[in-house]
Amino acid sequence: MVQDSTRLNGLRAKHGRPPAGPHEPQAAPSTLRQGQPRFRGLEAGHRACQGCGEALAARIVMENAGPDVMVANATGCLEVFTTPWPQSAWRVPWMHSLFENAAAIASGMEAALKARGRNTKVLAFGGDGGTYDIGFQALSGMLERHHDVLYVCYDNEAYMNTGIQRSSSTPHAASTTTSPAGKERMGKRHLKKDLLSIIAAHHIPYAASASVAYPADLARKVRYAMGIEGPTFLVVHSPCPLGWRHASALTVEVARRAVECGLFPLVELERGALTNIMPIRTPRPVVDYLELQGRFAHLFDETDTRAIEERDHLQALADHNILTYGLAGTGDDPVDTTGIAHVRRGGPLAERT
Amino acid sequence: MTMTRLTRGAWAAPGTSLEFKTGNWRSTERPVHAHAKAPCHAACPAGEDQQAWFAKLQEGQPQQAWRALVHANPLPAITGRVCPHPCETACNRAALDGALAIHNVERWLGDEAVARGWAYPVDTPAPDAPRVAIVGAGPGGLSAAYHCVRLGLNAALFEAAPEAGGLLRSAIPPTRLPRDTLDAELGRLLALPGITLNLRARLGRDVTLDGLRDAFGAVILSPGCELPKPWSVRGAVPADLHDGLHLLRDFMDHGALPDAARGDVIVHGGGNTAMDICRIMKRAGANRVTLITASALPGPNTARDDLINVVPRELEEALEEGIEVIEHATVSRLIMKGSRVTGVEIVSLRKEPGPDGRKRRVEFEGTERVLPVDMVVPCVGEQVSPDGFEGVLDGAYFWPDDAWGRLREDGVFAIGDARGNRGTVAAAIGDGRLAAQAVAARLLGGDAPVADLRPERGVAGLNTAYYPAMRRTAVAKLPVAKRGFETEIEGGLSRAEAMAEAERCLSCGNCLACDNCWTMCPDSAVIKTVEAATDGSHYVFDLDYCKGCGLCAQECPTGYIQMVAETG
Ligand SMILES: Cc1ncc(C[n+]2csc(CCOP(=O)(O)OP(=O)(O)O)c2C)c(N)n1
Ligand code: SF4
Ligand SMILES: [Mg+2]
Repeated sequence: MVQDSTRLNGLRAKHGRPPAGPHEPQAAPSTLRQGQPRFRGLEAGHRACQGCGEALAARIVMENAGPDVMVANATGCLEVFTTPWPQSAWRVPWMHSLFENAAAIASGMEAALKARGRNTKVLAFGGDGGTYDIGFQALSGMLERHHDVLYVCYDNEAYMNTGIQRSSSTPHAASTTTSPAGKERMGKRHLKKDLLSIIAAHHIPYAASASVAYPADLARKVRYAMGIEGPTFLVVHSPCPLGWRHASALTVEVARRAVECGLFPLVELERGALTNIMPIRTPRPVVDYLELQGRFAHLFDETDTRAIEERDHLQALADHNILTYGLAGTGDDPVDTTGIAHVRRGGPLAERT
Repeated sequence: MTMTRLTRGAWAAPGTSLEFKTGNWRSTERPVHAHAKAPCHAACPAGEDQQAWFAKLQEGQPQQAWRALVHANPLPAITGRVCPHPCETACNRAALDGALAIHNVERWLGDEAVARGWAYPVDTPAPDAPRVAIVGAGPGGLSAAYHCVRLGLNAALFEAAPEAGGLLRSAIPPTRLPRDTLDAELGRLLALPGITLNLRARLGRDVTLDGLRDAFGAVILSPGCELPKPWSVRGAVPADLHDGLHLLRDFMDHGALPDAARGDVIVHGGGNTAMDICRIMKRAGANRVTLITASALPGPNTARDDLINVVPRELEEALEEGIEVIEHATVSRLIMKGSRVTGVEIVSLRKEPGPDGRKRRVEFEGTERVLPVDMVVPCVGEQVSPDGFEGVLDGAYFWPDDAWGRLREDGVFAIGDARGNRGTVAAAIGDGRLAAQAVAARLLGGDAPVADLRPERGVAGLNTAYYPAMRRTAVAKLPVAKRGFETEIEGGLSRAEAMAEAERCLSCGNCLACDNCWTMCPDSAVIKTVEAATDGSHYVFDLDYCKGCGLCAQECPTGYIQMVAETG
């Protein structure tokens, strides 16, 4: 029995938790919290690191998808930090799958709900490891079978929960514990996988990229996907202060620069065709993005010619994105990278007009 | 329904993570809402909080905005026209797409209050409330009287001239400050219950300082500077010398200038009076008007303390009208034919740090040049007319010990231009407010006024990614050819323009209620609530869950959220 576990009770005492099991009465959240004018699908008290972009992204996704949803969540930081037994930060039905099969579990949930005649939308959540890599075939199957599921990939560009191992989403030249920068290599040798194109090639109704730097855009994309019957896919750029080695306060700034330099293009594809992009009002040099992050620190060793070459390589990749997706803006646009963020007294500008 | 226990699984009730207070993790810093001074407020000599009244305009409440404004400055229609607006120089938006047109909006609010008859937010003081004597009904004295009434005191103004207004009436041309605007705003202020105005009451002639000290609870001296500073060039003074201030007054009274003013004129000085007399002489038909100033014209490399101290747009207009300016120069010799001036020698100079660290003027030998002239007009500043102030003046001015204007004589305060280091209408208005606060504390009890020590939020403390670009509203100006001696040169704003300009305010150091902190907290530790937020924001931090990441402070556009060291 858990109650007998001295170690658990010790931990509870240390962290100020009452020694309660899930079946015992729970403390009610404060009325202020209950009165929040948004759906609290992912509650406070989760154990994400300070400034975690993934926690921020998931909170925003839940606000805009909920409340009538069920979630299948692959192993990874999001799963671990939200559900330290006997507690859960989720306020919707939520199921932990394995690392590799969130899409398969979600497919089953959707089929079961359909059989019962229920309209509850199923969401599948995975990290980039769980999506780009190990869960990829399950995801491909889910898309191909046309399940009515919104799959959200929280892309923090490495296997963070197990200690920052490279994934196929890790950007070129980033240093991770399995692609360390040093004498042999300048961080990861290979390129970031263009997953969105592969997903779109499944000819699904909707696939898009979003970023925590632009919550209003992310919210719109979630709502749009929620309105579609059939498989939809979102990849959300979610900086990880621990793995990217930047200050926890800079999560949004780092994400913003990733979009503004072109390295992380925000695009929307419907039935495989590019239907929308977020134009970049003033493209920033890639170094503005790199310089904030320890995982690219080796690119700033001016005595190392490889560093200069890799910086130029990343700039060329960003320029290539800007060219292929047509990200260069044509004058001021209220929904470009600059306009979409604007606020005025009383809230975001976009919500007022 | 009974719950089945899973053998290889576990479950948890929704939202139970709330039992775990992640606030425990905060080790070094926590976010706080920290009101800071917007730079406009910090720079305003009158003490206006422009950010506060712009916020009311952003909420669509012009009357509330005016009430917030006149909390500090009761004469916005006037200052909106005559102030050199250091607020705009300080405005953080200057680093983005141009400073806010603060003075234009201030003027609009002032005019709007007059047009709509908005009542000043003051109560009638009790008839037996202490009485304060105020010497001089210029901007400083009027502000002091207003603030005395606002704080519950009765105020009696003693003015030597037959009308109130001081230099607003005697030294500022109607092209800058139309007389009906002046009369309307002064009239409303003087009509406030609790203020009495005694005209043609000159200190030393009709009343005495000792007499006032006996009869009143306190005396505030705001006589202004009526006398031109003595001027000579190495001892030489032309026989037909007219100083700028007198020329200006005479012209405004009778509309005439001396005959020599038709030829080539040199004005020596560098303040607003110098600028005004230059422009009036030019418009009245002078062949050529040249201003010789020790200061510099504005330029990309001009140091603040070197810049000519005039209303910036007045300088612009003067240059448009063909006034010539020789900067960094002084008059070094008068060339006389008999007792008449026929030329001046000028020499270049700069303010340079001296051995004692203070700036001094250094003339550069070998830079002398001679200009032929018909008239030289000194306009090098003014000083207090000493009659009635014997023993109280320290040299040419009053030098009180503190910001509240306290003089050594008990219960006597000095404010405005008569303090040697002031020099703007706004500074006199600010002085009037501070002196009234000190007087109220003295006569009504209560806490002595304290200085506002809040930090100033400069542009580096803002996150400017969140502000839409908006161009400064331009106002119409009378074309040079149409400028005369009466019609106001600078145009006004429409209501729509004023409201649009207010949208440009960045709300530096004060909450915009933009939701950024609420939207961007990964830990749902920012709670949105107007009711429970008592600090002027719409949010409270739930420190039970805040991990101290600093994201909210980083993404707060206005710098209103600051991370402070965790104590205990
Ligand atoms: C089959 C399997 N292999 C390995 C693991 C160990 N594991 C748990 S989480 C994780 C990394 C998750 O990375 P990602 O999907 O990118 O999510 P993140 O933690 O970065 O959010 C790994 C390798 C596992 N749980 N299951
Ligand atoms: S390791 Fe990274 S992704 Fe995981 S909780 Fe920490 S910040 Fe978030
Ligand atoms: Mg990952």
